[in-house]
Amino acid sequence: MPIPFIMPKFDMDQEKATIIAWSKKEGDFIKFDETVLTVETEKVAIDVPAPATGTLARILFKDGDMVPVTKVIAYILKEGETLADLPPANSTPLPPKPEPFDRAQGKAVPVPQTETAAQAASIIATPVAMRMAKEEGVDLSKVTSSGERITREDVERFLASKKSVGRVTVAATPAARRIARESGIALETVAGSGPRGRVQSADVSEMTKPIPAPGIHEAEVIPLTGIRRTIAERMQQSFQESPHIALTVDVDMTEAENVRKRFNAQAEKLEQPRITLTALIIKVVAWALVRNPYLNASFNGDSISLWKEVNIGVATAAPQGLIVPVLKSADKLGVSEINLRLTELTDRARDNKLKLEDVHGGTFTISNLGMFGIRQFRAVINPPESAILAVGSIVRTPMVVDENDRIEVRPVLSLTLSADHRVIDGIVAARFLSDLVTGLESPSMLLY
Amino acid sequence: MAKPKVKENIIQDDFNERVRRLGLSDETLIGLYRTMCTVRHFEYTADRLYAEGKVHGTMHLSAGQEAVAAGTRLALQTDDYLINHHRGHGHFIAKGADVNMMMAEFLGKDTGYNHGRGGSMHIADFQSNNLGANGIVGGGIPQAVGVGLALQMQRRKEICVCIFGDGASNEGVFHEAMNMASLWKLPVLYICENNKYGMSMDVERVVAKLPIAQRAEAYGIPWSTVDGNDVIAVYETMKNAAEHVRAGSGPYFVEAMTYRYFGHSKSDRNLYRPKEEIEDWKQNRDPIMRFTKCLLRSEILGEEQAREVNAQAEQVILKAVEYAEASPDPDISTLMEYVYA
Amino acid sequence: MPEMTYLEAIRQALWQEMKRDESVFLIGEDIGVYGGAFGLTHGMLDEFGPERVRETPISEATIVATAVGASLLGMRPVAEIMFMDFVLLALDQIANQAAKMRFMFGGRTSVPIVVRMPGGSGTGAASQHSQSLESILMHFPGLKVVNPSTPYDAKGLMLASIRDPNPVCFVEHKALYKTKGDVPEDDYIIPIGVAEVKRAGRDLTVVANNIMVMKTLNVAKRLAQDGIEIEVIDPRTLLPLDIETIINSVVKTGRLLVVHEACQTGGWAGEVIASVVGSPAFDYIDAPVRRLGGRDIPIPYNRGLEKFAVPQEADIENEIRALVGGAL
Repeated sequence: MPIPFIMPKFDMDQEKATIIAWSKKEGDFIKFDETVLTVETEKVAIDVPAPATGTLARILFKDGDMVPVTKVIAYILKEGETLADLPPANSTPLPPKPEPFDRAQGKAVPVPQTETAAQAASIIATPVAMRMAKEEGVDLSKVTSSGERITREDVERFLASKKSVGRVTVAATPAARRIARESGIALETVAGSGPRGRVQSADVSEMTKPIPAPGIHEAEVIPLTGIRRTIAERMQQSFQESPHIALTVDVDMTEAENVRKRFNAQAEKLEQPRITLTALIIKVVAWALVRNPYLNASFNGDSISLWKEVNIGVATAAPQGLIVPVLKSADKLGVSEINLRLTELTDRARDNKLKLEDVHGGTFTISNLGMFGIRQFRAVINPPESAILAVGSIVRTPMVVDENDRIEVRPVLSLTLSADHRVIDGIVAARFLSDLVTGLESPSMLLY
Repeated sequence: MAKPKVKENIIQDDFNERVRRLGLSDETLIGLYRTMCTVRHFEYTADRLYAEGKVHGTMHLSAGQEAVAAGTRLALQTDDYLINHHRGHGHFIAKGADVNMMMAEFLGKDTGYNHGRGGSMHIADFQSNNLGANGIVGGGIPQAVGVGLALQMQRRKEICVCIFGDGASNEGVFHEAMNMASLWKLPVLYICENNKYGMSMDVERVVAKLPIAQRAEAYGIPWSTVDGNDVIAVYETMKNAAEHVRAGSGPYFVEAMTYRYFGHSKSDRNLYRPKEEIEDWKQNRDPIMRFTKCLLRSEILGEEQAREVNAQAEQVILKAVEYAEASPDPDISTLMEYVYA
Repeated sequence: MPEMTYLEAIRQALWQEMKRDESVFLIGEDIGVYGGAFGLTHGMLDEFGPERVRETPISEATIVATAVGASLLGMRPVAEIMFMDFVLLALDQIANQAAKMRFMFGGRTSVPIVVRMPGGSGTGAASQHSQSLESILMHFPGLKVVNPSTPYDAKGLMLASIRDPNPVCFVEHKALYKTKGDVPEDDYIIPIGVAEVKRAGRDLTVVANNIMVMKTLNVAKRLAQDGIEIEVIDPRTLLPLDIETIINSVVKTGRLLVVHEACQTGGWAGEVIASVVGSPAFDYIDAPVRRLGGRDIPIPYNRGLEKFAVPQEADIENEIRALVGGAL
């Protein structure tokens, strides 16, 4: 039997992918794991490797086609097999493992119609049961029969059991449900103000207001679908609603680098991870934020919230897109601890294992593109925060180091602050930057 | 019950004399014969189509009652209005309805009189002042009051003929309508077509005092009964009644005694009447047979010619079936049409 | 604009239309010298004569049937059923005949009749002279059911009903007959099938008909003093029902209460609510959708019992406060 080549599923809630290009054509010999085509999901382009070694045959979808996951897109002929071994062209091909997935929301998930005639024949069911199964998208092989054959009652029981699994039990008005759905808020996390705790629309609306709520425990997993969309919306909103001002300073990093070296020598002895520059910057930023509360604030339309907590988000490139894990209460932590937590957060981000609480509740964001050699850039504020710090690369630069105009080559770091001018005056922003310069040029006072 | 006075030889005895007195030409008489044959063929063909599974709904056939339809029509003017009952095929055909459109409606086709919305029971042809058959027994009787009132208010010469069965005379509106029609001297000719059974109920079991026509007495309406299987007698009675009505003297009530051959509707297995009774009516009192005999004896019609007229009538109906079968069903997309004007 | 009563507004519409169109005539019991049980046709016999103000025996079925038959010949009859309760005697002619004729006959005719009928309680007329049966009439496609709540609407809707080519049941309310309002002398039409927002508000939508419109508006005034702004919609026509206006309102307010005097069970509120809940407005509903109908009993005779058999202003107010205040 030729091996069906299915459109693989890459993401938990991915339903389809678009074929960008086949890199092999029918008749080509392909080796296991070799790239055969490239597809695009909502998030990324992915190379699809061959599931087996053999000859590529009957490509069923062309470049540009959008294909549901688990659908057969081609076949691979094993050695000795010919086109004649392929299943009839009009029969529904059988993917190796139809993967019915449950979604927490309790939505009925249509299981792709996957039975071949042969498989159907091996299942003994009444015609009514077969028709029902077809209509309801039920895989009859998963239905237990109460007698010799699967009857309508068996299918009905199966359907009923499916339904009861994911039933939403939160009491909420339809309007509340709609707003929750639109804003990606889990109703389970909303406190209902209505009778018997029923969630009203206002309860959900309250949560969609731009107030970061430290200590939110919303759900197990960050909903990743449309992360690109979320970024786009937030950036657009930020850029349109908050008037950005940008200020840049250069920092002599000589002392900071020295300090980092000393720390790392010690860390090596203790077999701890090396302190990153970002960790050091976070430490200094946290300190400066405490001194400059307007940088650690949110604009609410008719008021400004100055936050008690200093929760610093760090823009991180993750496989699924930009993500900003938040380091909670950074002002209360030492640089080693910041470093440890940061490492842990970025690791989890890369492994796609962040929890919702890991990304919520930020009060200030740092974006570091220095490792890519970016000298200096301006970042867009991450709403509802009021400022973001763009960290460039350290460049060894000749600079005047004393009153005698002596020139030395020093490691210079360029920092650019974007600030919401509704909250932060230019002079306030300047003071904050000035504090950062002080902190980074004399780090010992903060670290010891 | 006062049995309808049907003597088989009554027509033969005075047929020529009556025809002369009424001034009926040979052509008119042959026309009556043709109409009756056409109705008969329509009904038997309808029954056959039903048996062949080509009819979706039910139907109420009037075979055996053709003389009432043909004789009444001859007594009316072309523009007179007709309010009909559910067993109405004969009256429609006699009034000149297009049998193609009737048959198409019977088969539920878009080319039918009602675009397939009404079926056998609701055929209407407003262009020829045929205001439709009614599926509610007696439903048309009070409407005739309205038609009569409009004719009176509009000072018109036409009259309204309202035909209903023996069963309808027991509906409450029958009495309301008789009273009002008489009160306002409306131009309505009420015809009770007594075919002896209201579905399965013998008139003798459901009407306290017969004949039904005498109920008109209570409302001051002149009335008469007639042998409904004698087409000439029907004509004569209706002619006199229509003259009375058209003269502005108020309504008139005629009860025509007749008999239906088929069951009430297709689900009827005739358990309520003996087979012998049906056979007796068919063999001895059939209106077409009786009229044919008269025409033959009076040499108005030869046997050959009689066969020919009958065959022509059959052809008309067979053509109607062809037309209906070739016609399209109403498009499902038109489902919501005709509800509101 | 002259002020007149609801009753006078209907009379004026009939009067003006009979002057304008000779095919219009009235038919009913005691509508001549007596002027009808409520005096609505008072003076019309003198003006138009007995042929066009046609008094009948007590034969409701045939009164309507006569209108039906006459309409087939181009007349525009306006039949009066003395009390709405008696429409049940004529229901075959309304539901089986008038409503279906156009359809059964394949669109080849129409039945332009108006059947006027005063319904409603409050006059001590007890169980067989006080019902609100408009919900029953809504169940017959082919009919239109019109139900004005103000003198202005009554005149405009009556003129529209007479000129409509379909059978129209024109449902009046006895207790509204003496209510007053501005009514233009001119000829004007209120289109059938168009609801009116009698009062705009943001907190809750109340849909009410005939006398309940007035009661709800009174309640709305009181609630406004407490900052509760309710939107009051009068469908004016129950069949065809302008559900779109209601849906749009619910999308705005998120709350819906339907109030009618008709018995709650099987009442038209259920129809409105089912339509709204099944519409895109569902996603905007923020409180239980409720109805307040008459109690499921025949209308009693005793004044106190009669009053509490149907929704009172206090009942409406309590319902609204509970819904808006989050108690429900």
